[in-house]
Amino acid sequence: MAWEYSEKTKRLFLDAVHGKPGTHLGEIENPDGLGEHGSIACGDSLRFTFRVKKNDDPMKDEIVEARYLTFGCTSAIAASEALCVILEARHCTPVEALSITNQDIVDFLEGLPDQKIHCSVMGAEALEAAVFDWAKKRGVHLENLGIDIQEHEKEEEGRLVCKCFSLTEPYIRRKIKELNLRTIPEITAAIKAGGACMNCHHSPGGLQDILDDIWGTREFPIPQVSGELPIFGQGNTVGTLHTATADDSGPTETLSPYQFSKKVEHVLDKYIRPMLQRDGGDVEIVDIKGSLVYVTLRGACSDCVGANATLKMLVEKTLRDKVQTDIRVIQV
Amino acid sequence: MLVYADNNATTRTAPEVFEAMAPYFCDLFYNPSSMYPPAAQAASAVRDARAGIAAFFNVGNPAEFLFTSCASESNNHVIFGAAAANPTRKHIITTTVEHPAVLEVCREMERRGYRVTYLPVDRQGRLNRVDYVRALEPGNTLLVTIMHANNETGVVFPIAELARIAKETDPEILFHTDATQSVSKIAMSLSKNGPRDPKAVDFRNVDFLSCSGHKFHAPKGVGLLFLRKGTAIRPFLIGGHQEGGRRAGTENVPYIVGMARALERAAQTHDADVLRLAGMQKYFESELLRRIPDVEINGGEATRMPNTTNVSCHFVEGESILYELAEYEICASSGSACTSGSLEPSHVLRAMKVPFTAIHGSTRFSFSRYTTEAEIERILEVFPGIIQRLRNASPFSRENKHS
Repeated sequence: MAWEYSEKTKRLFLDAVHGKPGTHLGEIENPDGLGEHGSIACGDSLRFTFRVKKNDDPMKDEIVEARYLTFGCTSAIAASEALCVILEARHCTPVEALSITNQDIVDFLEGLPDQKIHCSVMGAEALEAAVFDWAKKRGVHLENLGIDIQEHEKEEEGRLVCKCFSLTEPYIRRKIKELNLRTIPEITAAIKAGGACMNCHHSPGGLQDILDDIWGTREFPIPQVSGELPIFGQGNTVGTLHTATADDSGPTETLSPYQFSKKVEHVLDKYIRPMLQRDGGDVEIVDIKGSLVYVTLRGACSDCVGANATLKMLVEKTLRDKVQTDIRVIQV
Repeated sequence: MLVYADNNATTRTAPEVFEAMAPYFCDLFYNPSSMYPPAAQAASAVRDARAGIAAFFNVGNPAEFLFTSCASESNNHVIFGAAAANPTRKHIITTTVEHPAVLEVCREMERRGYRVTYLPVDRQGRLNRVDYVRALEPGNTLLVTIMHANNETGVVFPIAELARIAKETDPEILFHTDATQSVSKIAMSLSKNGPRDPKAVDFRNVDFLSCSGHKFHAPKGVGLLFLRKGTAIRPFLIGGHQEGGRRAGTENVPYIVGMARALERAAQTHDADVLRLAGMQKYFESELLRRIPDVEINGGEATRMPNTTNVSCHFVEGESILYELAEYEICASSGSACTSGSLEPSHVLRAMKVPFTAIHGSTRFSFSRYTTEAEIERILEVFPGIIQRLRNASPFSRENKHS
């Protein structure tokens, strides 16, 4: 796609490269915070510096000036410029500055094309690195504030897998092994990869392929031993349902599938059906799979849309109280 | 007067659609992936089309729609792609009345070691929800793929409910619907937050939806695939960065523009069109039943599309009905074996256990917003006579049997 930049992005870029007064291209000498971020694989790199007005209490230092040098495309330069504008306008402390996210930069630029989101990420990551640098120089222990200061070093060379966050295959592979990441959501939570456009999840050579390559092709989940019920219904040979573990409170005896369905039926007959029948309604079991109980609600009550949800909850709660705590009722 | 009553096969390209497409052939012919400014116009046309289509389906993120070449490609993409991305699950649920682009792919999956449950339908073409619930296997079912509206009978399946039951059973079960016959005719919302239009069906639990432009007055050769963001599926066509790497191939710019325009146009008069078609259907069917003995409307007691009437005339053969209709310049289709190319009568009507003599005598009339009352009258004027003449020639007809 030809790049589709907002007017704001185009203007920031032009102003910056033409050195218009008030723009932030450059580098601060002896900066209080310096952060670099970028990846050769995706062809951009940002060197970001800021200066603070020092306070006796370093926690009260205020960022007063920010500058950048950026090698990169239109949006990389505009995003860097945006970062400096946002930062200076906030008059905030470096720790407060950590709350600025790539989304703030995207919003400031009035949107970025999907394939350019990584430019905003670069800005946010460079800011973070610069704050870490400031903390080191000023003797502030960020880890005591609950901030994870793990260095975000990334292998710079290698095939780019997550384009949004500029993450290469060697980096992702290393992190998967180090952190024992087993699923795509785990990867995203740990290193952000796959967290924006999600296109790399299942593309060839994408996150799932890397996971499969490292851990082997996924196999059938191994059923837990405690408190499980075989699925019954129609011809199941493979699955079992994971149900309550022994820790759960409530009825604890282990029921066979037959006992379970008898008991569900008994409870419906004794506690629920009479109540529904008084109002001309009824409930019928369609099927039971493990702890899933499928019911139809018949008669007067089935016409009443609002009552249905309440009724389902009532049936579910009664069955949980009287039979098994992990029962789920599904209306058919 | 030519009467076109085969809109479930394909539709006329709407003039306003053709007009919207025209600039993208000889003038704005550029590849949307190119960098120079003129190409940006092609790129922005595709982007606008995608945004318009997303709005049509009440979807906030246009990237959830992929452009394909047809609904068959979309269906193949979903089944093969979902299987490849979820290798631990080996069970698929579908119905006996799907379009071959789903049915045959499911048979192929069986050859590849998958188990497929084919849900039966009743005499009216309806699914039994108990069968459906029993077929769901938590932890093992990969995909449910069930059409929204049947192309032969127009019978509509309760997709919103079926998808909810699947997700409540096991959120990892993927749900696909082939909505080729219903898109533009039944308002639908794919938003996770539910419909804004209270009349729209709520497809928040549907992960994948396929459809095809030429069923709603866009040209042939362009299809659509809704892939809910974050759902595990691998690409089907590989070899290009287009569509975020999810479907390779240079974007078919004019056709994509046309498809978006067609949906926009359909939305403008949707409510009025549906009302008018439903009124015509009611009249048309009651007149058929009144004027011709021994006929039945297939799926007549089920919830149905307002534009489709599939009528079985016992004791006569569909191909000869079509031939006679053509003599009167009426275009329709039939479930008869002789018209299928495979000498197999309609699998849909067979699944509904329509008697063989009635399957062969089935005729499908499918209408569109362009259908006029005069056209309906013309069919009603001609059709009973055709049936009578053919019955006179039939060895099975009531009169001839008794004689």
